Amino acid sequence: MAMERELLKNAFSKPCTVIYPFEKLEPPEGLRGKHEYDPEKCIGCGLCARICPSFSITLKGGPGPKCTGLLVDLGKCLFCGQCEEICPRDAIWLTTEYELAVINKEDGILDFERTPPPPKTTPKKVE
Amino acid sequence: MSSPFTTLVAVLIFPGLSFILTYGLWCQWVSRKAAARLQNRQGPLHTGWQGILQPLADFIKLLVNEDITPAAADKPVFNYSPIAVFALPLAATFLIPIQSLTNLWGWDPIVSFEGDLILILFLMSVVILAVFLGGWSSGSLFGAVGATRAALMMLAYEIPLGLVAIGPAILAGSLQISKIVDWQVASVNAFFRAPSIQGLAVVGVLFIGVVIYVICLLAELELKPFDISEAETEIVHGWQVEYSGKKLALLNAGHDVKMVLAAALVTSLFLGGPAGPILPPFVWFILKTTFCVLVLTNLSVLFARFRIDQMVSGAWKYLVPLAVLQVMAVVALSGVI
Amino acid sequence: MSEREFVIPVGPQHPALKEPESFLFTVDGEVVVDVEARIGYNHRGIEKAMESRNYIQNLYITERVCGICSNAHQTAYTGSVEEAGGIEIPERAKYIRVFVQELERLHSHLLWVGVAAHEIGFDTMFYLVWRDRELVMDLLEEISGNRVNYAMPTVGGVRRDLNKDNFMRYHKILDTVAERTNYYIKVASTEKTILERAVGVGYLGKEDMIRLSGCGPNARSSGVPCDIRKLSPYLIYDEIPFEHIYVDNGDVLGQVLVRVLETLEAVKICKWVLDNIPEGEIAVKFNPMQRLPEGEAAYLVEAQRGELIHYTISDGKNMPYRHKIRAPTMANIPSLIERLKGGYIADIPITLAGIDPCFSCTDRMVFYDEGKDKTWSWTEGELSKYRKEWYSK
Ligand code: SF4
Ligand code: SF4
Repeated sequence: MAMERELLKNAFSKPCTVIYPFEKLEPPEGLRGKHEYDPEKCIGCGLCARICPSFSITLKGGPGPKCTGLLVDLGKCLFCGQCEEICPRDAIWLTTEYELAVINKEDGILDFERTPPPPKTTPKKVE
Repeated sequence: MSSPFTTLVAVLIFPGLSFILTYGLWCQWVSRKAAARLQNRQGPLHTGWQGILQPLADFIKLLVNEDITPAAADKPVFNYSPIAVFALPLAATFLIPIQSLTNLWGWDPIVSFEGDLILILFLMSVVILAVFLGGWSSGSLFGAVGATRAALMMLAYEIPLGLVAIGPAILAGSLQISKIVDWQVASVNAFFRAPSIQGLAVVGVLFIGVVIYVICLLAELELKPFDISEAETEIVHGWQVEYSGKKLALLNAGHDVKMVLAAALVTSLFLGGPAGPILPPFVWFILKTTFCVLVLTNLSVLFARFRIDQMVSGAWKYLVPLAVLQVMAVVALSGVI
Repeated sequence: MSEREFVIPVGPQHPALKEPESFLFTVDGEVVVDVEARIGYNHRGIEKAMESRNYIQNLYITERVCGICSNAHQTAYTGSVEEAGGIEIPERAKYIRVFVQELERLHSHLLWVGVAAHEIGFDTMFYLVWRDRELVMDLLEEISGNRVNYAMPTVGGVRRDLNKDNFMRYHKILDTVAERTNYYIKVASTEKTILERAVGVGYLGKEDMIRLSGCGPNARSSGVPCDIRKLSPYLIYDEIPFEHIYVDNGDVLGQVLVRVLETLEAVKICKWVLDNIPEGEIAVKFNPMQRLPEGEAAYLVEAQRGELIHYTISDGKNMPYRHKIRAPTMANIPSLIERLKGGYIADIPITLAGIDPCFSCTDRMVFYDEGKDKTWSWTEGELSKYRKEWYSK
């Protein structure tokens, strides 16, 4: 009988559960969520792909000036934020977006495009 | 009941089969929602207003689900015991006075005869037999343990349950439920006209009775703290563990009907049945039984589960002597008034 | 086995177990006569995976050894790596590590109280405790950016700083948590149905506990003072004033007591850290490609479930040559089995949950020959011989 008062108090107050998807909580600043990418800043150094502990970043077109962007597989990613920490140009970072469920695995791969700087050699397009 | 037509309507539609089933679903919703709110949760929410259709949706979903009979099960017993678990309490509700079809202010039950209270008590015990057989025949260890526990629990609560139910009958001088209701109405009216010490004493003694009765009903309905026979974390739902699909739907509906029956019995024996001022009987019936369901729910979220040995010894140490004392007090009082 | 006895399998899948592990109970009626534990359903090869990743990448693998003790694992891992590499971390980083570690202990112990209540069928308490635990989870999410895997420690310090402006709010949240914990202590000590299920259940005395070398709250509930934070203080635990909690009930009630009292202590530690944290750097630079000098180091941490050991061997590369993890549940299984014997079937879930088991950290691999009914394991030499043969094929 020790909890009766608490129970009655609950019955007349608002339930603590949030009716997700109709109501949403504001994620705190600094939550590690979906990636964002700035193609202008990226230099295609490939450090992010090398440090990623779950190998979820692929450089399109190879490292260096040939790089035409990144593929980030959110299905593999563990949202550690290490890519953001190591990037020398702050070109990749994590946002607070957390609703990342997809029906197909392929939809969970972020495709970041980047136009390589004016080529000294013509970059090869890789499908 | 005058004509065969009204009897048919009474049995099949109101206040019989359809009403009881719908009302069972209502009780399930009330109980789920209330439990959720007491625990600061939302409870059913999306099917209909505040999830009021959720019990129905669950029922239909179970009907569609695959129905598996384990190879190790004793098939006939395993298949038929859900029907018994569903049908027996349903039959018992026909004896409860709810509303007469021909008279808006009357409350004759569908069937009524001297001694129907005994029949109800008997039907409620037979349900446990069906439960036992169902669990035991399922060929699962957890089912067998659950079945044994259900039978052991019956040994503990059946006697006080029967004893205190007889209390009002002794006072009313009849074993017929509608007569007991009539007696309550009459004595409440008499009490308001001329309040007396004896009247208060009767209320006091019956209050002890209703407390014992509710505790036993918690066990009968396998609610906490007596959900020992289905204890999810220990024996994975106990005697029901192998049931699925249609059979599980029947078992759940049976549980709802049992809930209605339990609330209706408390109402009829102790709370003056469907009688009440201004509103017609069935409205009072619904109000009173819903209140009983709320009380049962509140009690069931308030405790942790007992162990089977604690429950059985507790029942024999405290409940049975208390029930005997209560009946003795009732007998003594019935001489006075 | 006599005729009245039969065997009840609990696990690998069972509602009382949140992770796959198998226990075979020989029962006589409702009384447990014998228990046989079989581990190994959840072996993930984490130690092997760590040998092919560098020290920074390994941070996030150790963290995932266990969801609830993620920070304890990272603290132990970074500690062992820093010791092997002779890296000195800034003072402020130590405070932040302790802060996150104690917050984690808070939420873990509250989680345990909820689970224990659920195991004895007290779902209301389970819901309410978990509701209040949410405060701590939100706090951790705000500090670290994630609810479960905080990724706070890194080799050489911590990754995120605490903002001084929020300290007042943190104090308030911690006060609420302490107040709620006190309320649950009151409930647990006055509610008859809880006491009925906790007093004298799963009893194990002090001598038996020492003989079976249990650790963590499991051992402290039997009166063995074995808190690593006191016995061999790491980080700044030797400066923090806090009680060494142990009781000698030896039963489930003792386990509840140890954990709720530790929850209150953890609140105290967190508040102390907030009051005393020094200014300064939060990390020294550690390059992922940096090589560690040859050497080895072991690091002991008091995780929520007991003593956690990380042991690393470096052969001068930027990856560990070998990293060994001993999670506390492994040490608690023998005493768990002793606790279970002689109890009722109904007490199995609560006794099992009593040690706060985490089986996926526990799993080891052995070879098993079904025909000969023989088990054996390999030494390192045999393993590398096997590897050479495998790759030369
Ligand atoms: S995102 Fe950053 S780390 Fe990754 S390739 Fe571009 S510049 Fe390098
Ligand atoms: S957040 Fe971590 S796991 Fe995800 S892509 Fe970046 S480095 Fe890889």
